[in-house]
Amino acid sequence: MAETLKPVDVVTIGVGLTGSMAALEMAQSGLKVVGLERGAPRFTVPDFQSPAIHDELRFSIRKAMMQDNVKVAVTFRNNSNETALPIRRWESFLPGQGLGGSFVHWNGQSFRAQVADFVWRSHTIQRYGQKFLDACGPELTIQDWGVTYDELEPYYDRFEYLCGVSGKAGNIKGQIQPGGNPFEAPRSREYPNPPLKETYFGAIFRKGAESLGYHPYRNPPQI
Amino acid sequence: MTEVSRRTLIKATGAIGAAILPAVFETANAATPAGAELAATSSICAAAAAATTYVFFNGEEAAFIEAAVARLIPADDEWPGALEACVPNYIDKQLGGAWGAGERLYRSGPWQPRAWTQGYQLPFTPAELFRAALGEINKELSHRPFPRMNPEEQDSYLKKLEAGGKDLGGVPSEVFFTHLWESTVEGFFSDPVYGGNCNMVSWRMIGFPGAYASYYDLVDQHGIKLDRVPMSLAEDAHGHIHLNPGIPARSP
Repeated sequence: MAETLKPVDVVTIGVGLTGSMAALEMAQSGLKVVGLERGAPRFTVPDFQSPAIHDELRFSIRKAMMQDNVKVAVTFRNNSNETALPIRRWESFLPGQGLGGSFVHWNGQSFRAQVADFVWRSHTIQRYGQKFLDACGPELTIQDWGVTYDELEPYYDRFEYLCGVSGKAGNIKGQIQPGGNPFEAPRSREYPNPPLKETYFGAIFRKGAESLGYHPYRNPPQI
Repeated sequence: MTEVSRRTLIKATGAIGAAILPAVFETANAATPAGAELAATSSICAAAAAATTYVFFNGEEAAFIEAAVARLIPADDEWPGALEACVPNYIDKQLGGAWGAGERLYRSGPWQPRAWTQGYQLPFTPAELFRAALGEINKELSHRPFPRMNPEEQDSYLKKLEAGGKDLGGVPSEVFFTHLWESTVEGFFSDPVYGGNCNMVSWRMIGFPGAYASYYDLVDQHGIKLDRVPMSLAEDAHGHIHLNPGIPARSP
């Protein structure tokens, strides 16, 4: 039997990365917000504390944080000549469930998109010509986003400072910064936190890439 | 593949994930000779392996599994193999539990031929898959059971399963072999709370320190030797056993 609850201003469907941040913004502006989430409530302690969180069989192999395939199944095919079949166990992509959604188990890599990513159609025409697009036929549905990098930059900045992203800027207002990614789109200021400590494999990769004349830079994770 | 190269391969693949150098065997008690400690570890494991109480496998099935895992990860002069590390016990408890019963496995139709990129598409739960395949294998080998073959014959039989093309009660033999191999690796390297990796022998072998809370102070100390005694999920940082209701699984 349906139970009628007191009305609220906003209901978020899901309390993952998007839902929780939208709910926070709206609640801070005075709206009454309820978030709906399937799966268990989970909190840093006790759910993500050591040593239980280091259980590789449970989390990496059996995928305990992911959606239950018995309840949620999607079908998949590689091309239109194949028959789409159910994904019976998650392998190539991992949708999460529970409070925090995929935000709980993602790798935290917080890259910005490049300037050209927002104007992919115009960029491709400018770079390769209209004939290149025409040759791809009617199935090519590439479009520009409708917003540009410059318009979104303040929001990237706000998001990175909200989450405390670690990294080294490579381009601040057009000035190339040593140690960062010299090819990145211009950002208005430095990352809120310095890069994480360099791991052994990271150091090997950096030295190898540098010796070949490339421009290795530090990942921007949210940790 | 010889036993030596197989062991080397396992050490190499294990060490890649752990990002550390293979450790010299050492315990908290530095006065204990490494050899004596290793002998004690091996005998503890041997005793545990001998005492396995099977809840899923019947006698014939268990005999095949014990003999097969002993060929997939054989013991050598220095370290126990999968049999001594209680891997049959791990596989038995997995198949007798939720994973074996098809937890998190979508089991409705359609059932039809797949592209290999479309993943597992058989109607069997892991328990049904092992039961069907082992039944067929033991029927086929009733005159010369697998455990009674010599090691070369056993390897050759396992290789035939791996090569595929053989039907084992509805299970393609290569699919069964993949399940057997993956379960063996899981049992050998997973935390001992799951019933394999007895006394953390595989972790000691590859120098994996286990479930320490943090490596923050060590992550940029490159090239140092990490030779801590490994730590199981069942212990806290002081080696005390603690009871955590969240291990190994808690239903939502």
